[in-house]
Amino acid sequence: MKIFQVALGILAAIGGFVDIGDLVFNVSAGATFGYQLLWVVVIGVVGIVVYSEMCGRVAAVSGKAVFDAVRERVGFKAGLAALISAQVVNLMTLTAEVGGVAICLQLLSGLPYRWLIVIAGVGLLVVVWVTAFEWIERIFGYGGLCLLVFAVAAVKLHPEWGAVGHGFVPHVSAESPLLYTYFAVGLLGAAMTPYEVYFYSSGGVEERWGPKDLGLNRVNAMIGYGLGGFLSFALMITGGALFLERGIEPEFLGSITLGAEVPLGQIGLLLALVGILFAVGGAAIDTLFSGAYNLAQFLGWEWGRYRHPRGAPRFTVTWFVLLVLALGLVLTGVDPVQLTEYAVIFSAVALPLTYIPIFLVANDRTYMREYTNGRLANVLGLLYLVVITIVAVTAIPLLILTNVGQN
Amino acid sequence: MTDSIDLGLNLLDHQLLDAENRRCGKVDDLALEGGPGEELELVAILCGPGVWRGRAGLIGRAAAWLGGGRRVRIPWDDVAEVGSHVKLRKRAAELGLGRGDDRVRPYLDKIPGSDR
Repeated sequence: MKIFQVALGILAAIGGFVDIGDLVFNVSAGATFGYQLLWVVVIGVVGIVVYSEMCGRVAAVSGKAVFDAVRERVGFKAGLAALISAQVVNLMTLTAEVGGVAICLQLLSGLPYRWLIVIAGVGLLVVVWVTAFEWIERIFGYGGLCLLVFAVAAVKLHPEWGAVGHGFVPHVSAESPLLYTYFAVGLLGAAMTPYEVYFYSSGGVEERWGPKDLGLNRVNAMIGYGLGGFLSFALMITGGALFLERGIEPEFLGSITLGAEVPLGQIGLLLALVGILFAVGGAAIDTLFSGAYNLAQFLGWEWGRYRHPRGAPRFTVTWFVLLVLALGLVLTGVDPVQLTEYAVIFSAVALPLTYIPIFLVANDRTYMREYTNGRLANVLGLLYLVVITIVAVTAIPLLILTNVGQN
Repeated sequence: MTDSIDLGLNLLDHQLLDAENRRCGKVDDLALEGGPGEELELVAILCGPGVWRGRAGLIGRAAAWLGGGRRVRIPWDDVAEVGSHVKLRKRAAELGLGRGDDRVRPYLDKIPGSDR
């Protein structure tokens, strides 16, 4: 029974791994550089495994979610800076995801986009208000599994497997190295999405994990995120096999679905759209809660996704306000795909602000007793500290120099 | 309670839990008493937006203003335990904590499904 539950959780995690950032960056990286950047996805996926395992372990041993730990460790001032940057990125991501849901609904129904933005917003509100969280997680996680259609499509498109294999070997591109680096940074940012980690660690605290759950934490982190990364490969391969040779730059969410439609026809298109709808819708809900978690944890309010709204009033108001703000921003007509690029790049910039405190806490015996980072966690943790610092420092210059990946 | 605690690392900025384990704020600052040469004594925990003013420059002041500027003083005698969280002996309402949540709750109660 336990294994069955773990398996269900993993399925939901795979379906929930991909969000709009992964969709946009993996497919356009494929369309621009073929399979050359697959190795970066591997680095990104291992990175999110390392980061989320640490956060899950901190949650299990000390009972502290990310922004509890951040504030305790670096104090009010630096913690507030981390909070503000996290919330700005969070709102950008949320806006992009809500817009993405509306685009999917439009592609499925053909109704006007503006109506569908409102329908998407109200739909998310109703789902979050009336559905118990266990169900939200399952429905969106399993729905997101439709994205596996991209794995089938990737095979059906008959990519040159030699070139795919070569893509897993780290290398630098000779042609347009700046753009190549921009995509590398974007792929890392898209894979190591911090809101997923905030969400994950808060869930651990809510489910009252203790040291006995550390094994579960490791399995969740490794298999859930690891297999989720498999979908990222599939997306990039379809991007490479379909768009690169035809010289198409997928600027719309709709063009991403071509990756499944061309090899598999109508059914491929339908599965891709439903998969994207659930994956992006689920990510919107996770992002929404993450924003409320961060604020509530930083200020010491009641919080919790398993609690009824009246059990955590200000937490509830926070997510409601975030949803209304995001809805307002989508209604201004901002392009969700373009916004996703900015959100991913800025999230890469902000990543060290929460990663560093968590890394310090995970090594602190007063919090972690005998469960501090082991040698592997520390070697990887330090390595990724270097990686994300380089990424954070180079992200904005690359964004400017490549004109948001356009040149 | 342990014999000695590091006020900076083990107390400041930690979560406050009231007698019913309700999350009701953070240890935003500490009040110490005792002049130079005298014994320094921790007399109270300070909590609330008014305390942020002194902790983060201009942004701290802006946050304090946004939060309404209230500050609550919790006598050290009302602290039951300092562990992973800071546990208090009384209920939040008695200490004047968690008022924001209490104020918002009646509005949420009017919406169907708020106590599902």
